[in-house]
Amino acid sequence: MRGPHDIGGEAAGPVDTSAKAPEPWHKLITALSGVLGNGLHNIICTDETRRTREALDQETYDAGYFERHTQSLADLLVEKGLLDSEALTQRMAEIEKRINKEGR
Amino acid sequence: MADEPYEMERLPDPHDHPAPDDTSPPSHFELMTLAMKELLTEQGTLSNDEIRAQLEVIDSWKPARGAAMVARAWTDPEFRARLLDDASKAVREFGIDPGGIKLVCVENTESVQNVIVCTLCSCYPRAILGLPPDWYKSKAYRSRVVIEPREVLREFGTEIPEDMTVAVHDSLATLRYLVLPVRPPGTEGWSEDQLAEIVTRDTMVGVTNPKVPADG
Amino acid sequence: MTTRFKHGDKVRVLLTHPPGHRRTPHYIRGKIGIVEVACGAFANPEELAYGFDGLPLKEVYKIRFAQTDVWPEYRGPDHDTVDIDIFEHWLAPA
Repeated sequence: MRGPHDIGGEAAGPVDTSAKAPEPWHKLITALSGVLGNGLHNIICTDETRRTREALDQETYDAGYFERHTQSLADLLVEKGLLDSEALTQRMAEIEKRINKEGR
Repeated sequence: MADEPYEMERLPDPHDHPAPDDTSPPSHFELMTLAMKELLTEQGTLSNDEIRAQLEVIDSWKPARGAAMVARAWTDPEFRARLLDDASKAVREFGIDPGGIKLVCVENTESVQNVIVCTLCSCYPRAILGLPPDWYKSKAYRSRVVIEPREVLREFGTEIPEDMTVAVHDSLATLRYLVLPVRPPGTEGWSEDQLAEIVTRDTMVGVTNPKVPADG
Repeated sequence: MTTRFKHGDKVRVLLTHPPGHRRTPHYIRGKIGIVEVACGAFANPEELAYGFDGLPLKEVYKIRFAQTDVWPEYRGPDHDTVDIDIFEHWLAPA
């Protein structure tokens, strides 16, 4: 089965060469992955996050680069018992309320 | 990377500017990222200090590093030879630790234009080029540049003559690639700093080539 | 240290579609190319992806393919190439 990532040679539209303004959480997810893996805590590795990324459904994969990196990291941490998925959902709801009330 | 001299001045990069007072509602994945950060720090899996330190490491990754290496290679034939022979070793001459990857430098010539991609994900030499641009990570680039590189290059304003070879490199293992562009005419006698200024990130991925500004 | 393949060897990428994490893209499976260089030995990502140690190290080869051999409808000139870094266990002599 060909995952959502194995796309070399597929037809696609023009490349959007513009640079978009980054959102702070983009760098944060990059930092979280770095701290958890790569010579720091070493409790995850890049290959594992690629594997969980490749297992994402098409819609989540296509949501965006940082979006799929976030979901795949969460999935990996839950798989390893390092994160509780219900606690995650609950905290997301709390943060949403907080941001809507107080801003970022 | 700990030994790297602190740069007082950085080249402007669109990714440096944080979004102005963002009042847009948080996306599902932004919430997920923030929630993960909170839970993991509360659990003691990692600390806020570690996150802050890693953010600084990320900020130290920028294309100016690669540009400095290219400018050195253009002016110092022995460094150029070392860079092409073993780029992982050569970057250490600039105080840069390539990390766990093997860095490989491929040279553009009058007959070859190299272009880098990672079709399966978005592998990229971040330590020397900074975080990859959105287009590099896009499905359109990843899927099309292997099958129609000349058409994709055209979308960047780069036309490669038919008698030249376009050599695409799909970096899928632990190797990361840096393109050594051709030094353009009209740069004779320039200092390394002047040369580095025309070596943009895109020229080191191979989708464009360095240009001498019209006003000299 | 001698490697199984060397510069100039003709190799075929295995045409197989095993499940799980693989770093050999579909578009190159079954294709024939020439070994450009042996890149060194690395831990196997197909194993690392599942928490194993990925040992023993396996050699990665940079294989050069003619674009016209990879894509039946390639529109560029015959001399255009695509290089891919491939683990030794995905390669067979051609």
